[in-house]
Amino acid sequence: MQKVYQRVCAAEAWIASVFLIVMVILIFLGGVMRMLGHPINWSTDVSTALFAWACFLCADIAWRKNSMMAIEVFANRLPDKLQTALRMVNYALITAFLFYLLVMGAYLSWISRVRSFQGIPEVSYSWVTMSLPVGAALLIVTTALKVRGELRGERAEYRAVDVI
Amino acid sequence: QTPKTFTLKFNHVLGPKEPYHDGFLKWAKAVEQRTNGGLKIDVFHSAQLGLEEDIIEQIRQGANIGQNTDAARMGNYVPGIAVMNGPYFVETLEEVAKLRKAPTVAKWQEELAAKFGLKVVSFNWVQGYRHFFTNKPIKTPDDLKGLRIRTPPAPIWQESIRALGAVPVAMAFGEMYPGLQQRAIDGVELVYNNIPGGRFYEVLKVANETRHIMLINFEVVSAKWFDSLPKEYQDALVEEADRAGEETSRQILRLEAEVEQQLKSRGMTINKDVDLAAFRKAGDKAFEVMKITDAKSAVHKEIGK
Amino acid sequence: MLIVIIAFTVLMLIGMPVAFAIGIAGALFFIQHPELPATIPIQVTVTETQNFALLAVPLFILAGNFLNNSGITTNLLKLATVLTGRMHGSLAQTSIALSTLMSGVTGSSIADAAMNARIIGLQMLKRGYAAGVISYGSLLAPIIPPGIGFILYGTVGQVSIGRLFAAGIIPGLMLWAALAVAIAITARRRGYGPERETRATAREILLASWGGIWAILFPIFLLAGLRYGIFTPSEIGAFAVIYSVAVGFFAYRMLTFASFREAIEGSLVDVGAVMFLLALSAIFGYGIVFERIPEVISDWMLGMTENAHVVMVLIVLFILIAGTFMEGSVLIIMLTPIFLPLVTKYGIDPVHFGLVFIIAATIGNYTPPVGAAMFVACQVLRCPISEYTRDSTPFLIAVTAVTLILIFVPSVVLLVPDMIFGSDLR
Ligand code: NA
Ligand code: NA
Repeated sequence: MQKVYQRVCAAEAWIASVFLIVMVILIFLGGVMRMLGHPINWSTDVSTALFAWACFLCADIAWRKNSMMAIEVFANRLPDKLQTALRMVNYALITAFLFYLLVMGAYLSWISRVRSFQGIPEVSYSWVTMSLPVGAALLIVTTALKVRGELRGERAEYRAVDVI
Repeated sequence: QTPKTFTLKFNHVLGPKEPYHDGFLKWAKAVEQRTNGGLKIDVFHSAQLGLEEDIIEQIRQGANIGQNTDAARMGNYVPGIAVMNGPYFVETLEEVAKLRKAPTVAKWQEELAAKFGLKVVSFNWVQGYRHFFTNKPIKTPDDLKGLRIRTPPAPIWQESIRALGAVPVAMAFGEMYPGLQQRAIDGVELVYNNIPGGRFYEVLKVANETRHIMLINFEVVSAKWFDSLPKEYQDALVEEADRAGEETSRQILRLEAEVEQQLKSRGMTINKDVDLAAFRKAGDKAFEVMKITDAKSAVHKEIGK
Repeated sequence: MLIVIIAFTVLMLIGMPVAFAIGIAGALFFIQHPELPATIPIQVTVTETQNFALLAVPLFILAGNFLNNSGITTNLLKLATVLTGRMHGSLAQTSIALSTLMSGVTGSSIADAAMNARIIGLQMLKRGYAAGVISYGSLLAPIIPPGIGFILYGTVGQVSIGRLFAAGIIPGLMLWAALAVAIAITARRRGYGPERETRATAREILLASWGGIWAILFPIFLLAGLRYGIFTPSEIGAFAVIYSVAVGFFAYRMLTFASFREAIEGSLVDVGAVMFLLALSAIFGYGIVFERIPEVISDWMLGMTENAHVVMVLIVLFILIAGTFMEGSVLIIMLTPIFLPLVTKYGIDPVHFGLVFIIAATIGNYTPPVGAAMFVACQVLRCPISEYTRDSTPFLIAVTAVTLILIFVPSVVLLVPDMIFGSDLR
């Protein structure tokens, strides 16, 4: 079981990396080809579609590595037991929210399958929409593992991350 | 018992200073007065409520939301509708007015409402004539050969511009100015009223009056929501939209003459020496590629064009 | 909407990651409005990722992480040492000179602080002072182009990224000067001497500059690319990635396959943390537009004062206070849609406001109790926050003073963008 999950995590990181790299190349080529007089009109749509997937896969990676920005100073002043209880409340709320994203995301992907990309009309936009419910499902698993860790007495420390 | 009141949140992508925004506000006021406040319209400019495609999706799910959109997007649902976005499909406001009575168009509207939940309230809002704005005079389709022209990404747009001889480049509206400055594109195809706001006269020399598309817009609301309105509210919504649309379209065409003078004084050349017959002929290719030539002929017969 | 804001505050205070707090609180708006489809939160979250301009964020994150592994730092360090070795507190001066040079290639203060702490901070005498110098020095990274703060602000507020980049140059150099003065004064008082005996010769400076040439050219390429070149802002991000990889592999030959992978893995975490927040903030933003909150705030503010400067000072104070416990990028993502429409009503230039706003928001990364750059510097240098707070106060005063000057003298900010892009397009 654990091995399967490790594989999933590795695949997740691999797919996200490949998508980001392909995105770089597509955007770069898009600019160059336009300059040469042969614009690739699908490059924008394909790169943003890849980006949606990369985004939500990366969100799961960041969540697993405790790298989402959070404000813990206030909670940290509370007694230990209360802190643990608050974290469990957080996990419960997050899980409920993620289930909402999963269910409504799947529903939206289904009902809006006629909607197509602007630049590539043959392809359904649901391929993009699906990135969110799939990401939510992965995030639910990660949250569940955090709850298990908490029950075993392991405490997650958030790492400072910002990009500006 | 007080009568139930209704609100429509109406979204459009244009800025608050465009004639359309004024037109929508007039529509809202007229409807509110006629229904004694029973039906209110809140107008949101600059796509504040969201992306056009997203709003259409919300409309399909029955929300009390409306959107100003075009034939190209409606063509994603009922392919025939895309003809209205094709080159030289209609060329005067009178022809646009006749479209409402054309049976083929009515059938498309029914299909949009029944199958996709999209109710077209009005489609006589005309943004004006699209022309090619470039750095060299364009007289015939051959002059466009090899020129990279920014065009919206929908297939009918792309095919129309390709049929007229140019290389269509999909690009966001806001990227056009830097794109022209950097020579990433050689020109744009827009209506006159877009030019001053975007300061395109700084980076483009010639306005070529090709009139290749008379840009018709659609005011779309949810069919489910529309059906829930009392009959007199439905009539108020539709009739006032048509009235405000006609008024706005006429005002826009009047404004075009002013803008033309303004651009001239800013050093732009106005090229009226365009072989329209050659362009009309070239434009037919777009309908062929999109496989909507029959649809075009049917509507043309019905409106006597 | 009031319930949404209260919920957001409560969730954040109990330590929920901001991304989830903003999404959950924002979703409450839809429970209050059952007439809206429950799929809108999904739609707006996904749509946020479909904004082509926003692709510049992950691209510049990638480029920054590659450049940090490319060997550029070693070369720039040589140059910084040659330039500042004779000054009092020369290690501190070298550190901010290096930050200034690096800021022309990277766009993130955190990455800059981490790198600087490792290569110079550990040699400095007092940990608190070192951590202060290093974290505040990294303030230049997002201000001198390229900067991820500008991309976030420019995309969320639809302001020209090219103009914002250009606007950062003079204020960035002013911040450097202000920090250098603060160091000169404090180092003399604390008795920190120079590292070098002799002044650097012209030859030495020239040689060292040649070593760092690929870094020095980079911001010039970016601005030239945006002005004349072939690229739009997101495309310039892709160019930055390719440039950084090429420089790492071919020019400095320090980028290996292992460090390439390391840079990508680091980027995945950064992209996930900021993009998920940005995507979910769209749920929150929907309610703000729906209820026309910016207009309500504008009307209220316009009733209080008509003075544009007063409004900007108030906003900056608000951001500095909020920044004590919130990260800079969160502030930019959340507050741009609220404040930008407000300041434009006062006739304030969006580029001028953006620059001041981003400096103020970035300062939040250095102020206790919560600040990512502060945490990074203190972690690497094993320095208690209390010591950092005491020793870094002069730097906080210096950068705040520059911010205030910039509020009152917009021409300093707008000079370079007007020169490069022309003033009529403002
Ligand atoms: Na920078
Ligand atoms: Na802070």
